[in-house]
Amino acid sequence: MATEETPSDQLGRTTALRLQQLKGQLFEVALIAATLVGIVSLLVLFAQISNDAFRPGTASPAWFLIYLSTLVAPTAAFTLYARRRPAVRKTNAKAFAAVFGGLLLSLVTYAVVDSLSPYDVFIYAAFASLPPVLVLAYDRTTDDRTYTGPAVPVSMIVGTGVAAALYDLIRGPIGIAAEWIMYFGLVTVPAALLVAWLTASRRGRRAGSIVGGVVAAGGLVVAVAAIAAGVNASLPVVLFSAFVVPTSYVVVRSVRTNPEGRIGVAGPFILLGGVLLGASLAYEVKSPDTFLTPNLLLNSWDGLTASNAGVYPQIVGSVIIVGFMAVLAFPVGIGAAVYLEEYAPDTGWGGRLATLLEINISNLAGVPSVVYGLLGLALFRRTLGLGTGVVVSAAGTLGLLILPIVIVSTQEALRSVPDALRQGSYGMGASRWQTLREVVLPQAIPGTLTGTILALARAIGETAPLVIIAIATTTYSPPSGLFSSGTALPLQIFAASANAKPEFRHGVVPAAAVVLLVLMLLMNATAIVIRNKYGREN
Amino acid sequence: MSESDSAPKIQTSIETGKTDSAPPETEDVVIESRSLDVYYGDEQALDDVSMEIREREVTALIGPSGCGKSTFLRCINRMNDMIDVCRVEGDVEFSGKNVYDDNVDSVALRRKIGIVFQKPNPFPKSIRDNVAYGLKIQGFDGDVDERVEESLKEAALWDEVKDQLDSSGLDLSGGQQQRLCIARAIAPDPEVVLMDEPTSALDPVAASKIEDLIDDLAGEYTVIIVTHNMQQAARISDRTAVFLTGGRLVEYDDTATIFEDPEHQRVEDYITGKFG
Ligand SMILES: Nc1ncnc2c1ncn2[C@@H]1O[C@H](COP(=O)(O)OP(=O)(O)OP(=O)(O)O)[C@@H](O)[C@H]1O
Ligand SMILES: [Mg+2]
Repeated sequence: MATEETPSDQLGRTTALRLQQLKGQLFEVALIAATLVGIVSLLVLFAQISNDAFRPGTASPAWFLIYLSTLVAPTAAFTLYARRRPAVRKTNAKAFAAVFGGLLLSLVTYAVVDSLSPYDVFIYAAFASLPPVLVLAYDRTTDDRTYTGPAVPVSMIVGTGVAAALYDLIRGPIGIAAEWIMYFGLVTVPAALLVAWLTASRRGRRAGSIVGGVVAAGGLVVAVAAIAAGVNASLPVVLFSAFVVPTSYVVVRSVRTNPEGRIGVAGPFILLGGVLLGASLAYEVKSPDTFLTPNLLLNSWDGLTASNAGVYPQIVGSVIIVGFMAVLAFPVGIGAAVYLEEYAPDTGWGGRLATLLEINISNLAGVPSVVYGLLGLALFRRTLGLGTGVVVSAAGTLGLLILPIVIVSTQEALRSVPDALRQGSYGMGASRWQTLREVVLPQAIPGTLTGTILALARAIGETAPLVIIAIATTTYSPPSGLFSSGTALPLQIFAASANAKPEFRHGVVPAAAVVLLVLMLLMNATAIVIRNKYGREN
Repeated sequence: MSESDSAPKIQTSIETGKTDSAPPETEDVVIESRSLDVYYGDEQALDDVSMEIREREVTALIGPSGCGKSTFLRCINRMNDMIDVCRVEGDVEFSGKNVYDDNVDSVALRRKIGIVFQKPNPFPKSIRDNVAYGLKIQGFDGDVDERVEESLKEAALWDEVKDQLDSSGLDLSGGQQQRLCIARAIAPDPEVVLMDEPTSALDPVAASKIEDLIDDLAGEYTVIIVTHNMQQAARISDRTAVFLTGGRLVEYDDTATIFEDPEHQRVEDYITGKFG
C-alpha cells in the first residue's frame, strides 16, 4: 500500500489480465469446434451420398487410370497453365460459359418445349413477341416516344391473351408444319437475331445481317441434313442454334480479337474431349456400378428394376414448375419490394400500414412449408377449382412460399443503394420513375439476384407443400401443359426412399439426390454468373 | 407532392423580360424569397427569410452549422419535397412565379435549377453517361456528344478525361468527381446552379480549381453557393448572405460590404472567427 508503483510496474501480466485472456482463448476454441462439427458432418453426409451414387469402389483400377490420363491430367495441366495468364483465364471462362451454358440451354429448352408441345409454345411465343416488335418498329418511325415504354409490356400481355383466344383456330393449321420448324422459330430465329445484333453493334449493319443470315441458313442446313439422314430434326436444330452458334461466336471472336488469350478457348474442349476419349477407351474396362447412368436421366420411372428406373419426367417437371414459379413470383415480389421501399409513405396512417406489412412479410419468410401447402390446397384446389396435382398449383404454391424471400432480399438490395444517388438524380430533374429505372434498379440488380438464387434453391427442393397439394409422386411422362398433372424430383426421391428393394434405397435414391443437387447448383451458377456480370459493369 | 412521371414542359414562366440591349451586368432578380418559414416537424429551420438573388451573379450563403443554409438552398428547387416532415410556408419566386404554386411541377423546376452536393455523387455509369444523364431524361434530341464535350470543357475537366469517356465516373479522383458533377449539372443548360459546400470534401488545389470554375460559370449562370470558408466566399461571390442560429437571415449585402464593413456586430464576430 505504501509502496509507490511506477508506470513500468503496471505493464506486467496481472492475474486479472491472464484470466481475461484465458476466457478469450476458450471462446475461440469453442467457435472453432462449432465450425468443425458443422463442416465435418456436412462433408461426411455428402461423401456418403456421392459414394452411394457413384460407387467408385466397384470400378477396376484401369478405369481410373484411363480417366486420369485422358480427363483429369490434361484438364489440370491446362488449368495450371491458364492460372498464371489472366487473358487466357478470361477467354477460358467465356468459352466454358458458352460451351456448357449452350449445351445446358439446348437440352433444357428441348426437354421443356418437347413436353409442353412445340406447337403450343410456338403459338404463344409468337403472339407474345410480335406485338412488342411492331411497337418498337413503329417507335422508330415517329418522334413521340412517350408511350413506347409502357406499350411494350402491355402489347406482350395483349398478344398472349389473343393467342389464348384464337388458340383453337390456329392450332389446326399450324399443326401441318413439321415439328422442327417450330424449334427453328423458337430457337434459331432469336439466336440469329442476337448474333446479328451483337455483330452489327461492333462491325456495322452489313456484317450483322450477313452473320445473322449465315446462322439462319445453318439452321436450315442442319434440319435438311437430319431429315436426309432419317433422324428427327428438332434436337439437332436446337443444339445447332443454342450450342454450336454461341460456342462458335465466342471462339471466333476470341481468336480474332484477343491474341494473348485465344488459347483459352481450348479449355472446355479439352474437358469434353477427355470425357469422350475416356469413354471410348474404357469401353472394355469395368466401370463403377453406379446408378448415375443415362438410364436414370432419360428413362421414366420403373419401380421394379432399379437399373431401369429413370427420373426424366421428374427432372422436366421440376424445371417447368420452378420456371413457371419464377415467372409468377419474381415480378410480384420485386414489384412489391420496389413499392414498399421507394413509393410507400414513411409517416402517417399509410406509413404505419406499410410498416405493418413489412413486419408481416418478414414473418412469412419463416412460416413452415407445410402451411404453405395447406394454403395452396385451399387456394388453388378449393377456391379456384383447379385439377388435382396440376403444374400451376405447384408453381403457385411454391411461388407463395418464396415470395417473402424475394421481397425481403429485394428490399435489402434497394436499401443498400446510397441515398446520395437518388438525390443526385432528382436534383437533375428526373422523375421518380426515371430515377428508379436509370439509377436505383441497376444498382440493386446484383443484390436482388442473390435473393432470387436463394429462393430458387429453396423452391426446387421443397417436398412437403407438393405432397399436400397432391402432386403425383410418379408420372410416366413429363407434364404436357401448365394445367396437366406433373411431378417433381424431390417427391420421387421421397417415395423411392421407402421402396422395399435396397438397390433403390441405396442406389437410385442417392443418384437422384445428386441429380437434384446438380440441378440446384446449375440454377445457382446461372444466377451467380448473371450477378457477377452486372456487378462488374457497375 | 406532385412528382409527375411524364416529361412536362416547364410550367414556370422563365422569360425575364430582359431586352437584348441590356448591359451584361444586369441587376435583374431571378429568385426571390418572401417571408419564408421552414419547419422540420415542430422544429423551425428558417425564420422569415426574405432575399432577392440577382441573375448571373454568385451569391454566397454563410453562417454557423445548423443555421439553415442547406435548407434554404433545397427550398429553391424543392428538394425538400422529398423530406416527409418538412413544411414550407411563404413564397419562393423563380422568374416571378412562386415555385410552391400548385401548377408548378417540381420535376420541371429542377430542370431549370441544377444542384451540386457537398459530397461528389457521380452515378455508377461512364463519364459520358454521367454528363448526358440530364439530357437523356429530358429527351434532348440534339447532338449529345457535342453537349457532353462542351459541358466537360466548361467544367474544366475535358483535358483530363477526354480519352476515357467510357470508363466509370467512380474511377476519378474526388476533385475530378466534383467537377464531373458540375458538368452534369450544367449540361442541360439550367438557369441557376445551386452548390452546397461543393469544395468542403476536397483538397486545396482541387478546391481552387472549382473556385476558378465558379468564377467562369457566373458569366452564364446564376450561382448560389453555401460555404464555410470565409476566404472562398470573399473571393468568388458578388453578394453574401449571412445566416445565424435560429434560421434567420441577419445580413445580406455586397460581399465587399459584408467583409469590410458589416452592419451587425454579430456578423463581424462570425466573420472574424470570434464565434461560430
Ligand atoms: N431532414 C431533416 N429532418 C429534420 N431536421 C432537419 C433535416 N435537415 C435539417 N434539419 C434541421 O434543420 C436545421 C438546419 O439544417 P441545415 O442542414 O439547413 O443547416 P446548415 O446551415 O446547412 O448546416 P451545415 O453548415 O452544418 O450544413 C438543423 O437544426 C437541422 O437539425
Ligand atoms: Mg448544410
